Amino acid sequence: MAVTDRVHTPPPTRQRAPRDKSVKRLAFSQKVSKWDVKLSPYLYISPFFLLFAVTGLFPLLYTAWVSLHSWNLIGGQGEFTGLENYEFVLAQPFFWNAVGNTFSIFLLSSVPQVVIAIAIAAVLDANLRARTFWRMGVLVPFVVAPVAVGLIFNNLFADQAGLVNEMLVGVGLDPVRWHSDSLASHAAIATMVNFRWTGYNALIFLAAMQAIPRDVYEAATIDGAGRLRQFFSVTVPMLRPTIIFVVITATIGGLQIFDEARVFDQAGLGGADRQWQTLTMYIWELGWGQRNFGRASAVAWLLFLIIVIIAMANFLITRRIANQGGRQ
Amino acid sequence: MIEQTAGKGAARAARRGLGARRRGGAGGTMRRPGVLTYGFLGAVILGSVFPLWWSFLVGSHDSSVISKGVPLTPGGNFLANAATVLDSIPFWKALSNSIIVSTVTAASVVLFSTLAGFAFAKLRFRGSKVLLVFVIATMAVPTQLGVVPLFIVMAKLGWTGSLWAVIVPGVVTAFGVFWMTQYLRDALPDELIEAVRIDGASMIQAFWYVGLPAARPAAAMLALFTFVATWTNFFWPFIVLDPSNPTLPVALQLLQAAHFVDYSIVLAGAVLSTIPLLLLFAVAGRQLVSGIMQGAVKG
Amino acid sequence: MHSRARITALSAAAACLALALTACGSGGAENAGTDGETGTEDVTLSVGTFNEFGYEELFTEYEELNPNVTIEHKKAATSNEARDNLTTRLAAGSGLSDIEGIEVDWLPELLEYPDQFADLSDPAVEGRWLDWKTAAATTEDGQLIGYGTDAGPQGVCYRADLFEKAGLPSDRESVADMLDGSWQDYFDAGKEFVAASDGVAWFDSAGATYQGMINQVQNAYEDNEGAVIATDNSEVKDIYEQVLQASVTDGLSAHLTQWEDDWVASFQSDAFATKLCPGWMLGVIEGNAEGVEGWDIADVFPGGGGNWGGSYLTIPTQGANQAEAKKLAEWLTAPEQQVKAFESKGTFPSQVEALESDALLGQTNAFFNDAPTGEILANRATAVEVTPFKGPKYFAINDAMQQALTRVDVDETDDPDSSWEKFVTAVGAL
Repeated sequence: MAVTDRVHTPPPTRQRAPRDKSVKRLAFSQKVSKWDVKLSPYLYISPFFLLFAVTGLFPLLYTAWVSLHSWNLIGGQGEFTGLENYEFVLAQPFFWNAVGNTFSIFLLSSVPQVVIAIAIAAVLDANLRARTFWRMGVLVPFVVAPVAVGLIFNNLFADQAGLVNEMLVGVGLDPVRWHSDSLASHAAIATMVNFRWTGYNALIFLAAMQAIPRDVYEAATIDGAGRLRQFFSVTVPMLRPTIIFVVITATIGGLQIFDEARVFDQAGLGGADRQWQTLTMYIWELGWGQRNFGRASAVAWLLFLIIVIIAMANFLITRRIANQGGRQ
Repeated sequence: MIEQTAGKGAARAARRGLGARRRGGAGGTMRRPGVLTYGFLGAVILGSVFPLWWSFLVGSHDSSVISKGVPLTPGGNFLANAATVLDSIPFWKALSNSIIVSTVTAASVVLFSTLAGFAFAKLRFRGSKVLLVFVIATMAVPTQLGVVPLFIVMAKLGWTGSLWAVIVPGVVTAFGVFWMTQYLRDALPDELIEAVRIDGASMIQAFWYVGLPAARPAAAMLALFTFVATWTNFFWPFIVLDPSNPTLPVALQLLQAAHFVDYSIVLAGAVLSTIPLLLLFAVAGRQLVSGIMQGAVKG
Repeated sequence: MHSRARITALSAAAACLALALTACGSGGAENAGTDGETGTEDVTLSVGTFNEFGYEELFTEYEELNPNVTIEHKKAATSNEARDNLTTRLAAGSGLSDIEGIEVDWLPELLEYPDQFADLSDPAVEGRWLDWKTAAATTEDGQLIGYGTDAGPQGVCYRADLFEKAGLPSDRESVADMLDGSWQDYFDAGKEFVAASDGVAWFDSAGATYQGMINQVQNAYEDNEGAVIATDNSEVKDIYEQVLQASVTDGLSAHLTQWEDDWVASFQSDAFATKLCPGWMLGVIEGNAEGVEGWDIADVFPGGGGNWGGSYLTIPTQGANQAEAKKLAEWLTAPEQQVKAFESKGTFPSQVEALESDALLGQTNAFFNDAPTGEILANRATAVEVTPFKGPKYFAINDAMQQALTRVDVDETDDPDSSWEKFVTAVGAL
């Protein structure tokens, strides 16, 4: 993905005039140095892979194994069924409904989130008074306890007594049926997600913006580019790697959306008509509600594949868009 | 004309020429932003702080506050509610556990992620490209089902009930490795590493004396992010820890153990558990913000 | 293909790992299952509960009576969290408490795996509980997997002030007389009330009312062999149609979903006049309706008795101290102790003798117009006649049914027919 091969010059070794006594030592230290160069990278990345082998890989393979069996969560392993679990869930309308909901909530959250985060970052990038205050301020949603977030958004989006509907009625509009209309529920859940993550992403973008050298802007100003033009012709193209980073992490997180959708009502099943049941919630229903660990694992693996595919596609699209942005 | 002067190449060249990153000021002008900017920011901050304020409002009234509707002014019960929280759960034990878990996790994530990021970004080795893609792909593994096999692993290691069971699965994250890799790729010039290597530094010395200092800004941000995420994590600690040895969210959930839940107490507890994080913001804010400012991913 | 070969190899590796771990896990459990003597050796017993069992003081008392025992209390807030916790540890094969509290709702799925739990049947405790309470926790082979703690006998809570306004009798004896009989009688009274009241509904939710009705059916969703009959059972369809007729066509429902924010807020806004209420619901109503006057409770339940909720103490066979654990569980669920729990936290006992205790019978509730709630609920507990059969799929089917009702009653996304069709699809997918 965001990996570029770089041409490195070969690691230099000491080149000094050999002296009688130190020839052997030098040879030895060159040998050590060679092994140091060869092995160190693997050593440095090994903590991640060691830990992953225990806490990540084993669960992943365990899940794959479970998905090929009839497997009750409590009762344990049943008979080997091959791909039957996959065939079953792929034939379920509930599975495809969950796929649709997941993408809908994902789009409603990630797209505005990235756009608004860039906008906030652009504003924070201005020559502000009390800079630290504003910058830490946008990060506050990140520290609010999840129980409080769930409680407050349920309070805001209650169909009858909720504050949002009261305000809508107050200005003469119809109340929105947040918990029965599918798209409305997605919008409400996306609001919760955006609340928590926009400020955080804004700071990542801001960081990237601050690293853009000022004389690029000065050159653009001399060429007569207005601020908006500068933003799109200078700032956005130079944010490209950051946008890719944010889009990839937001994609991976967004397609696994669980908490916000689960706390949207008390039952936590995604609505009476599965209006906002996401894929992870469907996994939860199959595995922990129906205790069908086999089918739940099958959906988990399908979700894993979907995420990998979408993350790749997003990477390619984002790269292209950002490139074009630079050339317009 | 713009694409010629302000294109990517020009930008690169200009930056390289400058050599230094710049703090503050922006947009190519020195103009002070106008009322509109502050208005927009004010609205954003208001929205950001509102849930915290709302939590405090609920926490400062009594048990009927949710069904009766939350007033916009605080009541006088916050201290009484906070005292109830301290009486009914092992708050101090949980607080110290949370501090231990979050600090150790944040520190180890930063250390191991920086090490791995340094290797991926700056060292040449066979399979590095594939391995990095693999690291990123691991973020795509859905976590819901991992609970059972992970619990099996922890039980096998005899760690259930101990803080290790919460700390160890989080000591290095794919997110951290990805982030550090992207950051160090540009923040740490190859020439610098070569220079210290020529001076006879070993790889680990190069990492210690060159890599780590260059990573500091990004590390500060990663530390903050990890600290907060660990602090608020509920489900896994709840599953794996014992009640006698909880983290804050695990202890706080006890406040909801009743048929009728008194949310004024629950949110007073939630606010109490957030105060340490706000203190962290206040104390480390300036440094962290400037850290984040420099922790940009660029390419 | 290379990739396929590699995947196969990986799966095989995973299998070995999984097998190895499970094997070791179960080996450990076997060693631990020492059902031996219960001497005076020091022992630490862990007890997992959730919500409100009212056991905190009893633990201290037991520790004083048995100096060799130390009790470690592992408490979860909600039954959902406790269930997730229990399931994870059952699935992983280790980590359960010596005593695990379970809710009546989880019994069907746990009764399927009786070897995970110690058989607690014992002549010493025979006849301790109400028959239906014990029957629900007994396997076909006669293994008792849990000792009953509390129960949720249901009466009808109502707003005397609103009844009066609508010209209905409002003292609790007359209300009991009026509502005594079938569900149709209850709905008919509702129609009379709604016609005379100004926009106040008769009950809060179609789903909650349905639950009271379906719990009086012996085999609602599954026959005794566990075969699913839900979608063909005319009894189920009839109740479904009757409750929706009352809720939607006759307008008796306030169209709320229990526990949601709108439902909580509705207690402050005179949204409905009656509510089916088990003993533990009294505190919920009192909390949500704080400041509202006029609530009362009638000693009646349409269509016979009804129970909603209640828990058991089980002893997982994973545990190392099963004999000591059994002693503790037996002591905790003895009538004397449950009465103390009732006095401290209001958990209503399921033990026959406890229902006759003066402490319980003498209890009144000021919020409910000083109603003799102890006596009323004791009567309600003995009025329960049916122990509905709940097979392994009971709760999944019931969830699907509740969703079907909500779609029509609250969401208005479906009419009764289309919602039933979706219910049939959902049951088919189990």
